[in-house]
Amino acid sequence: MSLLALREVSKRFGGVNALSGVSFAVEPGEILGIIGPNGAGKTTLLNCISGVARLDAGDISWKEQSIKDVAPYRRAHLGIGRTFQIVRPFPSMTVRENTAMGVLFGRPHSRLQPAAAMKAADEVLELVGLVEKREYPVLRLTVPDRKRLELARALAMRPQLLLLDEVMAGLNHVEVEQALSMVRRIRENGVTIVLIEHVMKVIIGVCSRAIVLNFGRTLAEGPPEEVLKDRRVIEAYLGERYAKDHESPPRPGEGHDGP
Amino acid sequence: MIAREQRLPRWVRRAVIAVAALGLLYVILGPLTSLDPAQQAGLPLLTDKLWFRIATTVAMFVVMAAGWNIIGGLTGYASFGNIAFFGLGAYAVGVLVSNQRWPFVAALIAAPIIAGLFGLLMGVALLRLRGHYFAVATLGVGVAVGEVVNNVPSLGASTGLFLPIVRSDLLFFYLMLGAALLAVIVTWVILRSRFGYGLLAIRENEEAAAVIGVNTTFYKVAAFCLAAALTGLAGGIFAQWNSFVNQENVFPISANVQMILMAVIGGTGTVLGPVAGAVVLELIIQTLAGGGTNAVYSQIGLGLLLMGCVIFIPRGVIDFFGGRSRLSLGYLRQTLRETSA
Repeated sequence: MSLLALREVSKRFGGVNALSGVSFAVEPGEILGIIGPNGAGKTTLLNCISGVARLDAGDISWKEQSIKDVAPYRRAHLGIGRTFQIVRPFPSMTVRENTAMGVLFGRPHSRLQPAAAMKAADEVLELVGLVEKREYPVLRLTVPDRKRLELARALAMRPQLLLLDEVMAGLNHVEVEQALSMVRRIRENGVTIVLIEHVMKVIIGVCSRAIVLNFGRTLAEGPPEEVLKDRRVIEAYLGERYAKDHESPPRPGEGHDGP
Repeated sequence: MIAREQRLPRWVRRAVIAVAALGLLYVILGPLTSLDPAQQAGLPLLTDKLWFRIATTVAMFVVMAAGWNIIGGLTGYASFGNIAFFGLGAYAVGVLVSNQRWPFVAALIAAPIIAGLFGLLMGVALLRLRGHYFAVATLGVGVAVGEVVNNVPSLGASTGLFLPIVRSDLLFFYLMLGAALLAVIVTWVILRSRFGYGLLAIRENEEAAAVIGVNTTFYKVAAFCLAAALTGLAGGIFAQWNSFVNQENVFPISANVQMILMAVIGGTGTVLGPVAGAVVLELIIQTLAGGGTNAVYSQIGLGLLLMGCVIFIPRGVIDFFGGRSRLSLGYLRQTLRETSA
């Protein structure tokens, strides 16, 4: 049984087809990578899954049940957690309070009262490496730390499916390595992950499968190494001419230094 | 903003608590000394009758400002129509007491319920709007409800409703004070509960709140209902205190602005901010008030005060208590930078 399944999902913004007929399934325990050039519809896809955006056509199901018309907060209760590419912390709260919000409102069976939620938040902050900064106001955090906090808040919800929108963008090599081992640890705890990433090292490093989006359509799907060698994928990223000129091209994208 | 550590030395905290306790004791017991029996017994006259009117009015505005704070301060939805709840509460008591011959106590229980139910309807319809749209829509409803009530014959139309006079300054003072305490306690409880954290999350980022599992629609409507019920309670007490209800005195748009002003000056989103704001501002208004040009000047003064507060002390005067910040040039420069971003 798939955890999540999308069937012919379409979303338009005015005259722009952000997504046209995207279908795929997410199996329990996998890490699925979603890549594609800017404007390919990756974030729109996550918005549709988390319920922030409504579908124009198609269907999304969670454990075989359609969640197309389910409100975002109900999807959170079902076990879908997400981060935002442009982080959205609650600015007047401390790091700890922000994280505790995930515990307070996430999965119903793990709900706690505020005081207990603060303690539970500490465990999550330990995992993402923010525990020393738990009393900081959010505005004092650096950008990488804010991304960690975004992840901590989503993890605190105890999700079954975690949607990560470019959590590793802007991190240096060491930080990416740390983040990768963190993602693996989260998966080992039984959380299924769908991640959007531009850093190819991440896709090859942790994903068991990758989907390439271009202009709102699925361009390729399969094991990351194969997908990244696909001629159509290289064309989409680097242009037709580049693909023609290079018979055996290097890996596209920022992380051309390989895994 | 919640549960931030206190940095004041312990003796200062103790002194502040002692002074506050004494002040509260005086506010509660002082009025008793103005009773005729107390005077005859030779007790000192601590309080005069005018003081009652002012203190009762202050308490009334504490309720309204604290009510506004729940929706405007905690949830971040600046309502400009809360006066509709006050008016509905007042009219509920007016109609039930003068037309239906209900006892005042029963009518007073009905007032917040009726106002709360109207808050529910209004919330479901309007809380999907944000920012200016919500402000303007609520203002429209606030004005419209007054106009409608003013034209319904069974509600006394433009003549208004007369209630049997109850001569007891003391009773209304204690009722208003009780309502004010209730409003403060409700805010305090909310801020320490899961519900309160949900409201703050909505204020800070509604979409993020929804995806972590906050039922935003329910929370917003519930906050609006609570604000409406508290404001309606104040209106209900006012109706009997004033023993006369008409559009002009229970649907004044100026009071609508005043309650917002009080919450903003005192400090939105806090427990005691609206109280501080209501006390300070109402005392200023009572001092400046009067006929003719004085009234005009006081209106201009209030406008300038609001501008100054929004720009320079966006967190309200309450920010200077509890040791979080100190009023200094550096503070003003800092807030100016924050507010002009």
